[in-house]
Formats: sequence, structure tokens, C-alpha cells
Amino acid sequence: MNPPSSFRDILFGMPPNDELALLRRVAAKDRKAFEALYHLYYRRIFGYLLKLTRRVDLVEEVLNDVMLAVWKGAASFDGRSRVSTWIFGIAYHKALKVLVRRPEEPAEEDGERPEPLDSEEPESLAVRRELAGVLGRALGALPAEQRAVVELAYYYGLAYQEIAEIVGCPVNTVKTRMFHARRRLRNLLPGLGISSYTG
Amino acid sequence: MQHLDEQGGRTHQRIWELLPWYANGTLAEAEREKVEAHLAICPRCQEEEEICRRTATAVKSVGEVAPSPHPVQLQRMLARIEESETEAHSHAGWWRRVMPLRALVEATPGPLRVSLLAEAAVILLLVGLLVWQQFRAQPAAPPAEYVTLSDPAPAPAPSLGLRVMFSPQATEREIRDLLHGIRGQIVAGPSPMGVYTVQVPADGDPLKVILARLRSEPQVAFAERAAGGEAGRGD
Repeated sequence: MNPPSSFRDILFGMPPNDELALLRRVAAKDRKAFEALYHLYYRRIFGYLLKLTRRVDLVEEVLNDVMLAVWKGAASFDGRSRVSTWIFGIAYHKALKVLVRRPEEPAEEDGERPEPLDSEEPESLAVRRELAGVLGRALGALPAEQRAVVELAYYYGLAYQEIAEIVGCPVNTVKTRMFHARRRLRNLLPGLGISSYTG
Repeated sequence: MQHLDEQGGRTHQRIWELLPWYANGTLAEAEREKVEAHLAICPRCQEEEEICRRTATAVKSVGEVAPSPHPVQLQRMLARIEESETEAHSHAGWWRRVMPLRALVEATPGPLRVSLLAEAAVILLLVGLLVWQQFRAQPAAPPAEYVTLSDPAPAPAPSLGLRVMFSPQATEREIRDLLHGIRGQIVAGPSPMGVYTVQVPADGDPLKVILARLRSEPQVAFAERAAGGEAGRGD
């Protein structure tokens, strides 16, 4: 997969004023505007929720909860943050709630193993696939709050102040979560082979 | 000397915490300069910064799986919105009826409000006393042993309400079979969004089971319990 030119674009899709205008129409119960917002955000929230929960079975349901909350709460949006920050904040809280309510069943050991490598596959692709599996398991071992900070900082490239707004906590808490996540990843990744990753 | 060590330790700790954001290039200029000054003299932070960069590169390389929404998903979403709007209107209706009374109470001067409240309490007490005495005076009526044509009709069997939207491809026959399978009857609808209110007998399968069965049918785009659980009015 080719990475997008800027990962921030995944999170912040449209100029802020356009999104704000769209949300104002949603607040006035304009269903067409809601459909536009739904299409604009569907993929972004889907990807984000999947990274956060790592549960395909929950994503669709949480996504609908998020969009319903956007519909109901659009009038209360005060415009102090970006629309996307507000929506991703809702998604974060909904995801954490559902993870508490419906914890994951212990997975079968076989299901956790990466797919066998194809001998015909180019080496770089094979390494990348293996890395994805290794990293996926390491991130999956983190608590959801820590994983969210790692993904928002490393995948989406957000500043710690923006992350604090999304997850709704002080910046020092964001730094502390990242601190613990880094320590755990450091313990998990060498044994799983990331130390041999050369970028 | 110890003071200087402590200060250096605190600086090291602060810089260490900032390294992921130095690596992702989002630090403000002042913070970035502080990190760079510390990095120049701290091999441990240099090593950690490299690890942050490598982890960020690895996290990005995993990519993202995000499909486009299927039209049925949007339909379901819109049906949920329709449902929430219906609920909101019924709450708003109740509130509108109460509001004039509330305004009247608020417009009443404080002392008068207290005396009116006391009077209302006394009246309630007296009415309660009267009712209680009536009950005590009359022995319980014996059960009726015969039925006449003028007797009131028996109460209707309790039922539960569902909100169902059928897929645009569902035929009339398929809808009929589905309803037959759950002993359901359409009591209202379709709403502008195409949502029907369906009534099912309360003594049949649990609502959860009925909903699960409906949702597993390809002809059903959306099935939810109606607000309040009872079969409601139409839209």
C-alpha cells in the first residue's frame, strides 16, 4: 500500500471552514448535509476505529453510534476545536466504552500467526508483511488508551496537544501514556523482530 | 552539584517524553530547539529518538484498511436517525405540554407559591383519605360467574413493537412470509424513510430472538425495537 502524502490528511480531510459549514447544516437537521458528512468521514472513522479497537466485529456498530452522536450533538459543537478533532474524540470515547462492555474473547493461537510467506513474493513485500504482523501483535498487546496515543502520534502524525483534545485529557497524561507505551513496545518488539527493521 | 544533577535529570526526563513528537515533526519551535540542544549531548536520547523514528515508520507502513460505505449501511444509519428523531419529537411534545404549567408556577410570587403548595398537599391528603375509606367500606366484589353480551370485551393481548425497514429488493411475498414467521402485523408506516412499525405478540419468542432473525434476513435493511417497546403509532 502506498502511504498518503500526509497522514494528517487522513484525519483532517477538508478545509476546516467547509467542514464547519457542513456541521452547521447538520445541526439544522439537514439530512443531505448529514449524508455528505457520513461519506466524508466513513473511511476515516472506520480506519481509526479499527486501529483503536482491532475488532472488525465492532467497528461498524461503533461507527454508527458515532455518527448518531454527531447528528444529535452537532448543535452543541462550540467551534473551539476542529470538526474532525471533535468527531474523532467522540469515536475515541465510544470505542473505549464498547471495549469495556464487550471485551474480546481469547483468540485462537493459530489465528494470531501471520500468513505464511509466499516464496514468489518480493523480499521487501515479504518483510513488510511480516513486520505488519509483528507490529500488529505488539500494538494489540497495549491497553487501548496507550495504543490510541501511539497511532495518533505515529500514524496520523498529530501533536500532543491535538491528541489531548481528541482523547479529552491533559497533555501530561498523553505524554505519560506514550511513555508507558514506548516502554512496553521496547520490551515487545526486540523479541518480535522489529530491531532488525531498517526502515 | 547534586542540585545540578537533579536539574539535569529532570531536563533529560522532559526531553525524553517529547521525543515521539520531535520524531513526528510537530513540536513548537522553542521545544524543538530545547530537544536538539539536549540531543547533542545525550547519547541515550539520541538512541531513543532513532527508535521513535523507526517505530513511526513501521506504524505508518502497516497502512489502513478502510472500505467505502455500502448503500445499505447508509440506509440503516438514516433509519436510526429517523428513529431518534421520532423519539426526540415525542419527548419534545411532552415537554411542550408541561412548559406552560411551569411558566405559571414560576410567575407566581414566592409566598403565594408556598401557600398554594400547602393547600394542594392538604387536598391530596383528603382525597387519599376518602379513597381509602371507600375501599375499606366495600368488600371485594365476588368474581363474575357468567358472561353477558354487554360485558366489556377482554383486554387485547399485550404486544411488542418493532421498527423494520425492508430492503428495496424485497418482494411483497417475501415480506409477507417474514411477517408470518414472527407472527407480526404491520400497524403503521411506511414513514418517509420507509420504516414500518410491526407488532408482535408479547407471549411469543423474546424480542431479541425476533430481532436477530429479522437482521439475518437479506430482505431486512434495518430492525430495531420501537421506542418504549410497545407497538406505537404510525409516522
